Amino acid sequence: MASLDWDTIAILVALGAFPVSLALTRFFMYWNSAHGIVGIDVHKLARPKIPEMCGAAVPITLIVFAVIYCLITGANWILFTAYSLVVGLTALVGALDDRLKLRGIFKPLLTLFCGLPLLILGLEFPGQVYDPTLRVPFFGGYHLHIIYPLTILIVISVTSNTVNMLDPLNGSMSGGISIVSGGLLIGLLLTGGNSSSIFLYASLLFSLLGFFYYNRFPSRAFSGNVGQLSIGASLGALAILGRTEIASIVAMFPNIQNSFFFLSRIRRFTEHRELKARPTRLLVDGRLASSEDPAAPLTLVRTLVAGSPAKEEEIVSDIWGLFLASTSLAVITLFLMGVML
Amino acid sequence: MTQWALMILGFGILTRIVAPLRLVALNLPFGSYFDASVKALVALALSAIWLFMWDRQVRYYFYRRRG
Repeated sequence: MASLDWDTIAILVALGAFPVSLALTRFFMYWNSAHGIVGIDVHKLARPKIPEMCGAAVPITLIVFAVIYCLITGANWILFTAYSLVVGLTALVGALDDRLKLRGIFKPLLTLFCGLPLLILGLEFPGQVYDPTLRVPFFGGYHLHIIYPLTILIVISVTSNTVNMLDPLNGSMSGGISIVSGGLLIGLLLTGGNSSSIFLYASLLFSLLGFFYYNRFPSRAFSGNVGQLSIGASLGALAILGRTEIASIVAMFPNIQNSFFFLSRIRRFTEHRELKARPTRLLVDGRLASSEDPAAPLTLVRTLVAGSPAKEEEIVSDIWGLFLASTSLAVITLFLMGVML
Repeated sequence: MTQWALMILGFGILTRIVAPLRLVALNLPFGSYFDASVKALVALALSAIWLFMWDRQVRYYFYRRRG
């Protein structure tokens, strides 16, 4: 151990998240199927039943590995407690929504409270959880001692819900957020981020990859709100804890675009299942086409199939391409943090 | 790319121009809170402009592709 640096130890520990998440996803696939927790894959002609809520594997893995890392390295337990609570609480909200089918407005409202552990522990232990100085590429930084703590609640709600909204196709969310977390991990390694943030990004990446194995096209496991919300909250919490706020916004451009256009057309918080006009339609040859209904929301998928219909796996590849482009810009943003005009 | 450049510029405006301003006298009761609120509103307005420009760009792309 003595010959390894802290970043290497962080990544080695985080690597363990992959098999754990893989095994947990397999377990949830079996258990949820057996208990009738299934969803229909509406973008397939055969409309197969797929086990739902298997994304629970990711928050469980993240929390278990946060504890393991703290025990092994003696890292700042306050930071890891705040992170684990945020991930755990959003997973709980997601699980509630999966089981009780809450109305659309409740998810953003309930996830607002999920950021409270970051806020409270940050106020109680100043400097150990977040730093209220926002760093901006080319322009330096500015201290936001009043606004920054309040923004934390909004950040967790926005990131968790925006990730929740961009999981319409097999592997689009798990693959896309893997690209984001992988890119930001590389950016932090190259720009000298702290070991705790490197570990948390790496554990998010590897636990997502474990889930992605079963979630990729053609899906054998669906994430459910439990996975989507907690993964989004994890990204939001990491943006604050790892001081990658602006880079994270850039990396999540595809999510922002999807959510903004959905909300700007629908003009209210609602669930996809409550929509009267679907953004896409399934053709008889199994391809997806843009909806002809003018009331349909202009989602990212609808924009991608606006020109011509496409197969599900082709659209997912396009979404990953967008995430790859936005994450590359995010890595450049991290590099530019130190550049001053 | 355009959205990225605009976003960095927006944050630059907030850092260099808006943040150093004293919009409300700090010796007033809750002066620093009012000052922060006004600056937050400016940030919100800039975000709305940014999203509006993004909106026009994507709509143009969408309707052009649909023909």
